[in-house]
Amino acid sequence: MMDTLMFVVLGTLGATTPLLFAALGELVAERSGVLNLSIEGMMATGAAVGFAVTTLSQSHGLGFLAGALAAAALSLAFGVLVLVCLANQVAAGLAIGLLGLGVSALVGKPFEGHTISPLPKLNLLGLAHLPILGPILFGQDVFVYVGVALIAVLTWIFRRTKLGLIIRAVGEAPTAARDIGYPVIAIRFGCVAFGGLLAGSGGAYLSTAYTALWTEGLVAGRGWIAVALVVFGSWIPLRIAIGAYVFGAISLLELSIQGLGLHVPSQFLSALPYIATIIVLAVISRDATYLRLNRPASLGSVFRTDG
Amino acid sequence: MHVTHRFLAIAFALAIAMLGGGSASAQKAKIGVIYPSPIGEVGWAHELDVGRQAIADKLGDKVEFLKAENIPEGPDAQRIMNQMASESPKLIILGSFGYMNDGLRLAAKRPDVDFIHASGYKTTQNFGWFLARNYESAYAAGLAAGYVTKSKVLGVVAAYPIPEVLAMINGLTLGAQKVNADVTVKVVWLNSWFDPNKSQEAARSLVAQKADVLYSLYQDTPEVVSLAEQLGVYVISTSSDMSKYAPKWYLAGPHVNWSKFFVASAESAIAGTFKGEGYWGGMKDGCVSVVAISHDLKPEQRKVVDDAIAAMTAGAFHPMTGPVTSQDGELKLKPGEVMADGPLLGLNWLVKGVETRIPK
Repeated sequence: MMDTLMFVVLGTLGATTPLLFAALGELVAERSGVLNLSIEGMMATGAAVGFAVTTLSQSHGLGFLAGALAAAALSLAFGVLVLVCLANQVAAGLAIGLLGLGVSALVGKPFEGHTISPLPKLNLLGLAHLPILGPILFGQDVFVYVGVALIAVLTWIFRRTKLGLIIRAVGEAPTAARDIGYPVIAIRFGCVAFGGLLAGSGGAYLSTAYTALWTEGLVAGRGWIAVALVVFGSWIPLRIAIGAYVFGAISLLELSIQGLGLHVPSQFLSALPYIATIIVLAVISRDATYLRLNRPASLGSVFRTDG
Repeated sequence: MHVTHRFLAIAFALAIAMLGGGSASAQKAKIGVIYPSPIGEVGWAHELDVGRQAIADKLGDKVEFLKAENIPEGPDAQRIMNQMASESPKLIILGSFGYMNDGLRLAAKRPDVDFIHASGYKTTQNFGWFLARNYESAYAAGLAAGYVTKSKVLGVVAAYPIPEVLAMINGLTLGAQKVNADVTVKVVWLNSWFDPNKSQEAARSLVAQKADVLYSLYQDTPEVVSLAEQLGVYVISTSSDMSKYAPKWYLAGPHVNWSKFFVASAESAIAGTFKGEGYWGGMKDGCVSVVAISHDLKPEQRKVVDDAIAAMTAGAFHPMTGPVTSQDGELKLKPGEVMADGPLLGLNWLVKGVETRIPK
């Protein structure tokens, strides 16, 4: 039983990292008023490109960077569609997402069946060998810590900085933001690209650090879960992170419970991460007024610079 | 994913249209093959394509192939099949269970084309199915697992509890218990055909629960095998030799080979003697074997494994021979009783020693 708990706690941070990256990226884009539904495709592109570059260069860092940049490029294409051509955000997001899945299959094709070494675990402060807490707190790979740091940084940006206020203003009232002199389109482009960068990082983490292989369909719906987490987490970094960690932990718990031989139907267990995440986030976000206040008012609507 | 399928489907249609324009190929017998996944270096579609290659090797210039890979079950498959049929091939090989109903409809319309269908159960005059007795190789791998396990816990990562998969888990368990009576088996059902991350997580969870031999049951990709190498636990795979992904910890490779059956089907289809039947190939038929058995087995242990393989190949031994008790403690096979093919094809229980229940 202890081993099972240890497995879940130890594995949760790693299993959640791709979700966390993608969801936090989507949060920034949505805060600026742009609904980007292409996360799944951008994650797949990041995963395929990241894996290809890691295999060729033997450098995880380079692969990770390439995956992130490839997805960012894709998100810029999305940005051109919705911010310049004023296309419908839902339709454009779905289209770019499908494009991303296609690109990932194409790029990844020659690399199917290859394996690379997974990212090594760190030994922070030399404390990874402490019993129980050592491997959990000090023995994860570097991106797990980057993910945790991102939560803090984004919380700080949106709560305490002018940049955060500007992004929120652009998302709440783009016309007003423009009237007081902020370049709404440019800021939204930046936010969308940042979201792409993080989604690509999440994908690259999956293929280069976590699973250490590429195959078509690797992302397996995680991009959609990330989109849902942003809404259920009511656009607040910490809540999104809690949702992501609950989801990650329950999905691992599900597998462990099966191995323990408890008489619970495995179909129910497979549904459990979704149920638990919805309940947890519904409970912490139950204040409807607060929820409305946090939802970016212009989310998903077209902004005309001449309007 | 869908975009590529569509693209492939269109490209394939164009290719067929262009092929149809030529007349040089008129004398060659055409054979259509449809695979559900890409032909990778290992896995299901790879082994199907090895079988197709055997036809090419045997019949050489007399045949040409209409090949489509990564075709999802459903409308795309139906369209590809119909296009293939318009080329009047002698034989169409349907590489996935889900092609069954579309294939049957087409077979009824086109009595001049013969079909063989993977994993199915329906036959007509020109429509047959093929399946491998993977429980035999699972039994042999189970013997090896029984020898090497120290924790006496084996872990299985499986997709869905279909009869074929249950038979393989039973084979593994009975093999391991034969040489190591207290072995127990834990199973994690993924409830998903394809999610490499989840299968790795499942494998990790099994290792956390003391499993020191993993059985990657019908994962087409080598993620569980390469993870086992990292974690330092033995691993058994399905369909293909995946030993290169775990050079140190690969225990045994249950392997399928469709060559004989595909060649025989192609020959009878071309000769016009094809009969729609079920083919359940085992070791006896050269369809199932075990490759890359680990050198960590001691010579006398290796001999037991080899003897069991020889006995199954000779048809002298059946893994499902009584006494066999189910998980619920019910005596399913009396001492000496051999399970008949009918009940085995519809198997819906697991043997004693498997700790995980079948999801209802």
